[in-house]
Amino acid sequence: MSQTLLSKWTRPALAGLLGLLLLSSFLLPYTVTADEGVLTIGNAGEPQTLDPHRYNLRLEETLLNDLFLGLTTFNAAGEIVPGAAQSWQTSEDGLTWTFKLRDNLKWSDGQPLTANDFVYASQRLQNPATAASLAYFMYMVKNAPEVNRGELPVSALGVSAPDAQTFVIELSQPYPYLLERLLYPTAFPVPEHVIETHGDNWVKPANWVSNGAYTLADWQPQAFVAMQANPHFYESVSIANVRYLPVVNEQSAYNRFRNNELHVIGSFPVGELARVKANYPDELHLSDLLSMMYLVFNTEKAPFNDTRVRQALSLAIDQDILTDKVLRSGNKPAYSFVPDLIADYQTTPLLHIGKARAERLQQARELLASAGYNNSNPLKITLRHVSGVEGKKVNLAITGMWRQIGVVANLQQAELRNHFADLRQGDFDVAWAGWVGENNAEHYLTLLQSDIGNVNYGRFADARFDDMIKTAQQLSSAKQRNQQLAAAEAYVVDAYAVVPLYTVSVRRLVSQKISGWQNNLRDVHQIRYLSWSD
Amino acid sequence: MRSSSEQFFKSSPLVVIAAALLLLMITGAVLGPVFSPWDGEAMDFEALEAPPSFSHWFGTDLVGRDLFVRTMQGARVSFLVAFIAVTVSLAIGIPWGAAAGLAGGRVDQLMMRIVDGLYCLPGILIVILLVVLFGRNPYLLFAALGAISWLTIARIVRGQTLRLRNAPFIEAARAMGLSTPYILRKHVIPNVIGPVIVYTTLAIPAVILAESFISFLGLGIAEPQTSWGVLVSDGTAAMESSPWLLVFPALCLGITVWSFNTLGDRLRDHLDRREHIN
Amino acid sequence: MTRYILKRLVFAVVTLFVIITVVFFLLRLAPGGPFDGERRLPPEIEANLKAAYNLDAPLFLQYGRFMVNLVQGDLGPSFTQKDFDVNALIRAGLPVSLRLGLGALVCALLLGLSIGIVAGLKPGGLLDTLLMAVSNLNIAVPTIVAAPLMVLLFSVTLSWFPGGGADTWWHFVLPALALGLPLSAEIARIMRGGIAETNLEPFVKTAKAKGLKSPRIVFRHLLPAASIPLLSFLGPAMAGLLTGSVVAEQIFDLPGIGRYYVQGALNRDYTLVMGVTIVYSFAILSFNLLVDVAYGLIDPRIRIAQT
Repeated sequence: MSQTLLSKWTRPALAGLLGLLLLSSFLLPYTVTADEGVLTIGNAGEPQTLDPHRYNLRLEETLLNDLFLGLTTFNAAGEIVPGAAQSWQTSEDGLTWTFKLRDNLKWSDGQPLTANDFVYASQRLQNPATAASLAYFMYMVKNAPEVNRGELPVSALGVSAPDAQTFVIELSQPYPYLLERLLYPTAFPVPEHVIETHGDNWVKPANWVSNGAYTLADWQPQAFVAMQANPHFYESVSIANVRYLPVVNEQSAYNRFRNNELHVIGSFPVGELARVKANYPDELHLSDLLSMMYLVFNTEKAPFNDTRVRQALSLAIDQDILTDKVLRSGNKPAYSFVPDLIADYQTTPLLHIGKARAERLQQARELLASAGYNNSNPLKITLRHVSGVEGKKVNLAITGMWRQIGVVANLQQAELRNHFADLRQGDFDVAWAGWVGENNAEHYLTLLQSDIGNVNYGRFADARFDDMIKTAQQLSSAKQRNQQLAAAEAYVVDAYAVVPLYTVSVRRLVSQKISGWQNNLRDVHQIRYLSWSD
Repeated sequence: MRSSSEQFFKSSPLVVIAAALLLLMITGAVLGPVFSPWDGEAMDFEALEAPPSFSHWFGTDLVGRDLFVRTMQGARVSFLVAFIAVTVSLAIGIPWGAAAGLAGGRVDQLMMRIVDGLYCLPGILIVILLVVLFGRNPYLLFAALGAISWLTIARIVRGQTLRLRNAPFIEAARAMGLSTPYILRKHVIPNVIGPVIVYTTLAIPAVILAESFISFLGLGIAEPQTSWGVLVSDGTAAMESSPWLLVFPALCLGITVWSFNTLGDRLRDHLDRREHIN
Repeated sequence: MTRYILKRLVFAVVTLFVIITVVFFLLRLAPGGPFDGERRLPPEIEANLKAAYNLDAPLFLQYGRFMVNLVQGDLGPSFTQKDFDVNALIRAGLPVSLRLGLGALVCALLLGLSIGIVAGLKPGGLLDTLLMAVSNLNIAVPTIVAAPLMVLLFSVTLSWFPGGGADTWWHFVLPALALGLPLSAEIARIMRGGIAETNLEPFVKTAKAKGLKSPRIVFRHLLPAASIPLLSFLGPAMAGLLTGSVVAEQIFDLPGIGRYYVQGALNRDYTLVMGVTIVYSFAILSFNLLVDVAYGLIDPRIRIAQT
């Protein structure tokens, strides 16, 4: 019985399956090149949301910058230029900002876009029901923290629309970098009329309405986000269709770029840089990113509450070796906590920069000895870092440098989100951290403020430094403010709360089919500035 | 017995090759680091990702550590993982299977039903979940890998025990009033040892592969410790720029897995044939 | 027979329930939470988020709510993919994973069966030694090595196949091959044993004596009988495919549900991990149920023994 039953179906079934597979592969011929007329971009990962008020990740900002237009925006060179607002004024005390909107602004469904939409969006961001994880980006707006905590109604928020073309923001204290902060999606307008109708489903491609150069055409989870040109945008664009593909793995991005499946990729394996320089000189775009990679000490935990220990560990680290020998990917060594890429600002480098390595190691050993550590009682450390090739390389190399002063270090790696979650909870000895910041020193220095919250991972606290930052924050003139901030940085440098390591260099590949690509410090590239090469 | 093992080694040239390769790997793991002048943790910032040479036989890794020493240290960890996991699986599987076989009836049914149920679950995915959720503790990893691979052993032992249960000499032992643990130790275990050796031989490469799989997902052994899985997955990330980082560890891992599998296959053939003859 | 199937069905449902419950509490016991991002999270904002996702209720109440929704077929919203609910994510990812799994199974069967049959017909011969040595190589080279090498060779260098994505059938060739190869070695091993053993059976000898031609003997007599041990391997094979797909989907950028499993667990996306776990368990359990039933149909001894 068994034989007849099996033989009856095994052969035809197998043959059928094979036939089906072969047949379908012929029916659907594969074209290796990316679809003609569709710009295909490898993004660093899958966006978690396209709601500008609920977003959290930089890779989502990339998409949102194409889909929406804020009051201010970037040009192709990454400079701040008027966006939905055509002009603005600041009051004498720096507390009131008045924006004049462009004429005839429209949503992608043709509805007019007015100042009231900005009022609605500001209120929605702070509304506790929205549960916006980045609502604090706009906490400088009057009453914003209170509204977000549910202590005041949304109507109490310091935003208003005296007329359809005028939008006014009131601040609780001066904030000269507001125009820069408005670049983030947290300040983008959202279509009230669509949200009222569809609720949380307004982000579905079928319901989608936005005010940027592009609108959302389709979103297949983990496969692609498709965009098409917005017919109601005030300018016309050259590239009509765009696809963002989530390509997490650098090697995969690099493979698919070489196989002509992607026009633009965000990164490729570090080790390939030399070969890329030779094989793809015109496609390669290496550019500095406004950022700081650093080590942070948990200053609440012994022995890292001892300045001598922190200084010794800092002395042993050679930033030049990290960038020039270990990473070799164009990253710039950082000698100060505020990146020296920041405009109109004088940084204070670490005090031992420029000294010979042998001398530094000697001083470090002496400091460790005075803190009670020697060969028979070595300092033991767990260094935490984000998993990935770069993290592993850098942090391994750091443990190697520490070995030279007799420190025994173990590595503990974690995935990005868990890493930073643990850091915020103070669950570490020493940790690798990174900050992709704005073009102002305050954005970096406040990370060391004692009352900034858990983003001061090391719980560093210095009353004098806090005072200096607070004084700076009362100043409405950017120039005076920068001078005061520079003084604060100079004051805090010998506390060794952090060890600056390097600023990130972005390694992009851009197909020669695309023109208009400009490297910039923020690594932002709106598609509307790009065009097909002829 | 002697003639039997001679027969086994003469049965196929593959057996000799596999055994020789395995011996080489184990010797390397034990003695390799001693013979090399390099220390597995010292970094040479002047020779990062250096290709193989007379001083660095396998080249150096991303931070200038000698890859030969690293690979041999990785071998130790990989063998250790396999050893612990297989021990755990034998420690659970043999008593479980023997107990089910001896007990028989409803107890046997229930115990084997549980094994059947667990057999179908993707064990590695459960290990992944545990490791992701409760941190990358190597001992948790080893034990979890063992805890998912005891099922086959339990099945074999149960089958053998069931066959033996009604054998005349066991019944005689029972009639003499000997205790169950005694019967297990004296009569059952010696009789199941053959098949258990076969499955141990096949379980070791499976555990080594599972470890590499978990390492690829970034959940393996933490630096500065290393294993073949970690080395191989690091190697794949640099396979174009520094191919030796992939080639040597992958070769060692592949040879070991291949040898164990080949030996296991042949050993099983050999035992089957002996049984046929008997 | 009906009673046998019914018993198996009850067993499967109980297993599913146990798995769901264990994974639910395992996830919640683990440290960390779903709202940890790359940027900072003030306590008042975390409170807003927890309220929005009902995470502020007692755990048992959350479990109850989850089970009630599950019975109605609603897996809830995803914590990380905020614009989709888990149902939608699985609807989008499952076809891709299924196609990958099916393709791999076909590859593995084709390769494994042919190697196993040829090797098993003359065990100990040169062809057997050679084929099994090669076949064992398929297990010895782990997927994490084979897959990237295949991409490098077939898509980057030769440009025959795409390096990632799931737009057409062509996109599935490399991943299915990478996933199927190790499985084919297992199948070859089982098949070889089965063929070798069946070859010694009296009925095969009878067939040979009757003067039947060898291909006919192989396909009519040897293959069906030797396939029975293979049937019991299909369950574990399915588990192996699922496990392998987690890595294959990552290497080949396939938008399947395997990628959600590890990512979801890392991100503490409770509902998404639950959803994938349920789909996996359901697939495995129903697959095994089918195998059991097939077994019962084919082999009358089992039917009697089990009832």
